[in-house]
Amino acid sequence: MTEKKSLKVSVYGPMVFLILGLSTIIFPLYMTVMIAFKQPSEMTNSISGILSLPKTWSLSNFREAMVVTDFWRSLGNSLLITAVTVALSLALHSLMGYALGRNKAHSKFYSFVYLFIVSGMFVPFAILMMPLAKQTAELHLANWAGVIILYVVFYMPMNILLYSGYLVNIPIALEEAARVDGASTWTTYWKIIFPIMKPMHATVAVLTALAVWNDVMTPLVIMAGSGKNTLPLAQLNFQSQFGTNYNLAFASYLLSLIPILIFYVICQKQILNGVVNGAVK
Amino acid sequence: MSDMELFIDGILVYYNVFIKERRRENAMKRKTITFLKLALCGMMTSFAVTGCGSSADTGKTEIEIVQYKPEAANYFATVEEEFNATHDDIHLTISSPNDAMTILRTRFIREDYPDIIGIGGDINYSYFVDADILSDVSDYPGLQNIKQAYIDIDEALEFVPKDGTFAVPYVANAAGVLYNRDMFQEHGWEIPETWEELNALCDAIQAEGILPFYFGFKDTWTCLAPWNAMAVDLSPSDTTKQVNRGQTTFSAEYRELSERYLSLLQYGPKDPFAYNYNDACTAFARGESAMYPIGSYAVPQILSVNPDLNVDSFVMPASDTKDGNTLNSGIDLQFCVTADCPNKEAAYEVLDFLLADENLQKYIDAQNAVPCKEGAFKLAPMLDGMSEYIAAGNMTDYQDHYYPSEMAVDAQLQTFLLNKDVDAFLTKFDTDWLRYNRDIIRMVQEYEKEHGSTGAQ
Amino acid sequence: MKNDRQRTFLMITIPILALFICFNTIPLIRGVIYSFTNFKGFGSYSWVGIRNYIDLFSDGRVGKSYLFTFKLAIVTTIVVNVLSLVLALALNSKIRAKSFFRGAYFLPNILGALVVGYIFNYFFTYILPAVAEMMGMNSTSILSDPKSAWIGIVVVCAWQAIAMNTIIYISGLQTVPEDVYEAGGLDGATGWKQFKYLTFPLIIPFFSINMVLCVKNFLMVFDQIMALTKGGPAQSTESVSYLIYNNGMSGGQFGFQSANAVVFFILIVCVSVAQMKFANSKEEQL
Repeated sequence: MTEKKSLKVSVYGPMVFLILGLSTIIFPLYMTVMIAFKQPSEMTNSISGILSLPKTWSLSNFREAMVVTDFWRSLGNSLLITAVTVALSLALHSLMGYALGRNKAHSKFYSFVYLFIVSGMFVPFAILMMPLAKQTAELHLANWAGVIILYVVFYMPMNILLYSGYLVNIPIALEEAARVDGASTWTTYWKIIFPIMKPMHATVAVLTALAVWNDVMTPLVIMAGSGKNTLPLAQLNFQSQFGTNYNLAFASYLLSLIPILIFYVICQKQILNGVVNGAVK
Repeated sequence: MSDMELFIDGILVYYNVFIKERRRENAMKRKTITFLKLALCGMMTSFAVTGCGSSADTGKTEIEIVQYKPEAANYFATVEEEFNATHDDIHLTISSPNDAMTILRTRFIREDYPDIIGIGGDINYSYFVDADILSDVSDYPGLQNIKQAYIDIDEALEFVPKDGTFAVPYVANAAGVLYNRDMFQEHGWEIPETWEELNALCDAIQAEGILPFYFGFKDTWTCLAPWNAMAVDLSPSDTTKQVNRGQTTFSAEYRELSERYLSLLQYGPKDPFAYNYNDACTAFARGESAMYPIGSYAVPQILSVNPDLNVDSFVMPASDTKDGNTLNSGIDLQFCVTADCPNKEAAYEVLDFLLADENLQKYIDAQNAVPCKEGAFKLAPMLDGMSEYIAAGNMTDYQDHYYPSEMAVDAQLQTFLLNKDVDAFLTKFDTDWLRYNRDIIRMVQEYEKEHGSTGAQ
Repeated sequence: MKNDRQRTFLMITIPILALFICFNTIPLIRGVIYSFTNFKGFGSYSWVGIRNYIDLFSDGRVGKSYLFTFKLAIVTTIVVNVLSLVLALALNSKIRAKSFFRGAYFLPNILGALVVGYIFNYFFTYILPAVAEMMGMNSTSILSDPKSAWIGIVVVCAWQAIAMNTIIYISGLQTVPEDVYEAGGLDGATGWKQFKYLTFPLIIPFFSINMVLCVKNFLMVFDQIMALTKGGPAQSTESVSYLIYNNGMSGGQFGFQSANAVVFFILIVCVSVAQMKFANSKEEQL
């Protein structure tokens, strides 16, 4: 009897908690959607006014937002930059995380490199901004390729922290077994370690993609004057000090939210289907 | 080949050696390496493309304008199109980015100067003149048609007098008090012309149960609007310069101004620091207050909420006499040719086109602006109450165009309005001023020593 | 064999490290050089020695911003870690509509700063005071009072950050093998006991990652400040990053704020290294 009760609590407890927490998300989202459908003349400062449904459900805001941001082209630029950055991050950061994570405990050199890179996370971007603007221009990198290289460097500290943290829970015995079979370290990494870090790849992919997708400053500073826009850069068009068209802006933000949300849903399945449980014995 | 390409090439070679060494190993690995190689190659090609092949040689002179008013982007897009359609020898590009100041600064640091920049007549202009980024345009014939008052404003903005003219003023804006014309007519209220009349009017409005003013002090910059509009009436236009020369203090010049500003609070909403600019615009548009002390730039935002609102403006009457009042007006947009511009003739041709009466009129219509050029232009109806001052040229520049932005005078004003302590505010203003401007003050004093002049601007 | 392993590790480390130095360390050094000048961000500049650093320690505004930033970071880190750990446990338990919940809780993280700023401004300015009034309480906006505005920032920071920390905790929970629970269940460890003695020790690496990331993110808080208060009211919510960006990039204090950034950087590194050392010693105990 008691066992059944505790089972019930452990199933319904989290559910109740999650549903309660959900209201803090549904409410702002509701407001966002309502504003995205309304016209500027429907905006008021009264509570009933802001919560009311729009007079007409027209997609005109979305259509206009797509025109103003040159949606498809900006989306293409954003997708390209995000995809290449994520792919490079998964390849390079996981390798580096592996090299550092496996050695930092017993080697002074690796432990120093680890701290050196991780501390790069704390450099305020404002201090790098001017020198980077200059440096990328000198290297002919004032374009999307430069932005990608910078992203790979910027998110390296966080991702290395994540990867090497994950490695702590992956027994070194796995690699030793492979080594006994005659495989080199390089092969072992790609055949055994890389696949086993799948949940962490998904996590890194989500976090990196999200940060890149929403970032304004780097493309603003680096690509200024190149005539290319990312989606967040194009969205800056909606706001100025003396007037912001919130309705168009909200419609545009809702549009740009969709790709990253889909990406997240795909990735979170990978986080779930981690193979570690089966492999770690 | 740039350093970067060499560097990437190095990595590639490095990985190639790596591959050869381990050729016997399985395909999985090779796939990954190929991927890396592809990615790096992709990057390399893109350097090559953007590095050397960017300037398509069409034989035309390229002129690029970066202007800082994104709200006027549509106007400038039309101008760009019309200009290019009518000119065979010059190709014009105008960009109106948001956050143009950041973009300009980063482009300056990489020495990638646009030919013409469109900026406001504020302290950034002073910095740019001081940094020798702008070129002297005193040989530009179009300057003859610009109102002298605005050329003087630009001259006054230079930290120390410099030979030459560095900007062509385009349009100005005006700040005072916006009011709901229909509401005023309905109640028979008159436009006030002295400080006393303004207070009487506010009392009358309050007696009817209507809120006289709306404030959006949550956005600190809006604290500057009434401040500027009153400052031109109550303190000398060159207060900051006098302080820099050590002739006076803000405690002396700004006391009356601070006290009068504080007394306006009683006519505003209960908690003005809760509302931002957008809230205040919406509230005024919805008739929640009779007046809103802000510049003409707020009108488009207000009309977007309520297109039927009948809005007009009047000059802030902070002085005790009508003659003591002056319109608070500064250069909102002016064009500067950069020192780096290779073809000034072409740049002047572009300026001619921008300053052509029909184009300028289009800008005025779109942005409710005040032209800096002489001539019979039609002004927006919401400037009716100010037209007398505009026609007479009775205008004085914004005081905040002389404040360094890092001193955050707007935030200090907000603090002052919250704490209501005039002495503390003015003392801090004086000490902060000396701290944030010490390099400029030193420059001014060195100049004074050299030239011995004290009175000249 | 051992040799091959070491060589492979070096082959991996050196080029990536070179890339990092090229685009992080070198620009940083250049930035540090600016901190000894009165550079405005453009034009000419001159050397001022350590004047910027001396000024830094006598500037009341800078001092205030450090206090505010640390207060905010500590409070928000605690709030976020407690909530996201609970959330991760809930999302990792056997519930229905798991994908839906995970997707929904991820949303706050992707809404842009403009949207978040607008919605929460509205919430704090109009909705919350109205609710307070109905309950007969003081009905002013918490963002308009210098004493309480920071709470608003904590709420928004936490609301946005919980998603990311939850993801990291969830991926951590995935490394806990099922059989640990099975074995624990036999010993009678359930609920809180199971969490304290079985789950938590195994996810300590993820706990320390989250702590480091949280402290870092909240010490460098910028977007939320811009969206909510822009440093006001009465300069009570100016974070260090806000000052560095606003006065250094938009204002003419580039040199001075570079000095501020250098000091701030050193400070955060110290805090984080201390954190990691502490976490490492905890990990080793287990």
